[in-house]
Amino acid sequence: MRVFQPAMRISLLWCCAGLLLGIVVLIQLKLEQHSGGRIAKLEQLRLLPRGEVLRPALLGYHHVGADFLWLRVVQVLGDRVVRDQDYEWLYHALDVITTLDPKYVYAYEAGGTVLAELAARVDLSNQLLEKGLAPNPNSWQIPFKLGFNHFFHLNNYRRAADYLAQAARVPGEFPIGPPLYTARLAARLYAQGNNPDVALEFLAGMLDQTTDEKIRGQLMRRIKRVSLERDLQMLERAVQQFVETRDTRPPSLAKLVEAGLLAQIPHEPYGGEYRLDSATGDVTSSTHSERMRVYRSSDSMASEGDPE
Amino acid sequence: MIARILSISLNSFRENLREKLLYNLLIFALLMIGSSILLSRITIGDYHRLILDIGLASINLFGVLIAIFVGIGLVSKEIDRKTIYTIVSKPIPRYAFLLGKYFGLVITLLANTAVMVLGLLVVLYVMDVPITGLFFQSIGLIFLELMVITAVALLFSTFTSSTLSAIFTLGIYVIGHMSGDLKELAKKLDEISQAIINVVYYVLPNLERFNLKGHVIHGLDFGASDMALTISYGLTYAGLLLLLAGIIFQRRDFQ
Repeated sequence: MRVFQPAMRISLLWCCAGLLLGIVVLIQLKLEQHSGGRIAKLEQLRLLPRGEVLRPALLGYHHVGADFLWLRVVQVLGDRVVRDQDYEWLYHALDVITTLDPKYVYAYEAGGTVLAELAARVDLSNQLLEKGLAPNPNSWQIPFKLGFNHFFHLNNYRRAADYLAQAARVPGEFPIGPPLYTARLAARLYAQGNNPDVALEFLAGMLDQTTDEKIRGQLMRRIKRVSLERDLQMLERAVQQFVETRDTRPPSLAKLVEAGLLAQIPHEPYGGEYRLDSATGDVTSSTHSERMRVYRSSDSMASEGDPE
Repeated sequence: MIARILSISLNSFRENLREKLLYNLLIFALLMIGSSILLSRITIGDYHRLILDIGLASINLFGVLIAIFVGIGLVSKEIDRKTIYTIVSKPIPRYAFLLGKYFGLVITLLANTAVMVLGLLVVLYVMDVPITGLFFQSIGLIFLELMVITAVALLFSTFTSSTLSAIFTLGIYVIGHMSGDLKELAKKLDEISQAIINVVYYVLPNLERFNLKGHVIHGLDFGASDMALTISYGLTYAGLLLLLAGIIFQRRDFQ
């Protein structure tokens, strides 16, 4: 018995196909909400096999494999909220990417920066960057970043200077070779690691190389904080000079300018003002009561850490 | 003789052009190459490398798929259709028929690779990615790999069915890319296992030798002597496979 005409039957089949497609899309959307797309993306990165195993399985396409993994890492990082524990997978994914392509300099550089600056995992950042040193002897970015980590996060000026000197030895003109200031910075680090001016020069160099907005924000905050410390040290030196020449403490900071010890009172980078305690001679900021001890020559540098 | 081989090649080329599979794979390859433009917009950092990587990998992968899936039918299809009887009864040596078939597919692959490379060059030009000599060296070696794979497929197709030929050729392709890693892993094994893996490493084609994709994206130099040695390796290997295929095909009974 023929219930439908052939043309009608075809239309009915098309309708059924459309209906089934709609159901498939709906279920897919439901599943997406259920698992949480981002968690699924994270899970995939966390469960990646080791690079040594994955590399032969990719049959010569390991470079493109590294690219696709990098794309995934970038997508997850682009999400608004990345929890602290999520950075564990980031290191694993970066380790796999750099095993698939040990010459992927950008992955070491960007990964090392994110791990140190956003995740506060300097240990993992250094581990990743150290891995990149041997296969990339012509990269100045990797030792530069290692120098930055040792300087700002570990306060180990000697090693920071060693890494910067290594970066400075890479031949070629910027951007293939290191920026011109690298050798000078290394020399200054060897001589006066705890000078805030050196830190500001290092930070400015790092800011030049960073495009990521989150990390640039972090560096800008650091620059403000170190600028504050530099100003306080400069004002303290002027107060000291005032005391030495006049045998009395200055009643206000304006007196330092009048005495010709300062050209002007610097602007407080956070919009506050600098204050002088005329009784003790201490200079403070109206916005920050804590000082950055790492830049004070009288303090031990290795154990204090960075107040930022 | 060369004229006969050439006429079989051109005939085989025309026949291959009728394969729908060829166009499907070609369209996929071009879509993949084009998609690298979209992907480069969502990455951060070195987008040049992403476009080059995806482009070269697509040319390589789809070239291999064409070489395998068209190559396995070169002889077995003639046998299945019984057209082989009309050919072997003619005064043409069997090896000439094989060589004609082989070069027919090589010409097809050349045309395909040219289309895919053209697509990639357009993408590179639009995205302002610098094109170096290494890029063309890499394409040349990809094509050499395709020639070796085609010879492997042809060899299997002389004595077994299309399905088995496809499985065997894919197997050789996988081992050909893994043999270097296997040799490294074998260092941890006992001497007998090492010897077996060494035999596999030296006797089977080492297809990683034709992989210059990493050199292109990192701008690493690949010297003229290395290039000459790799080309000699590929051509010799393809020659050896064709010789074996010729011997087997010569002795094959079609009754």
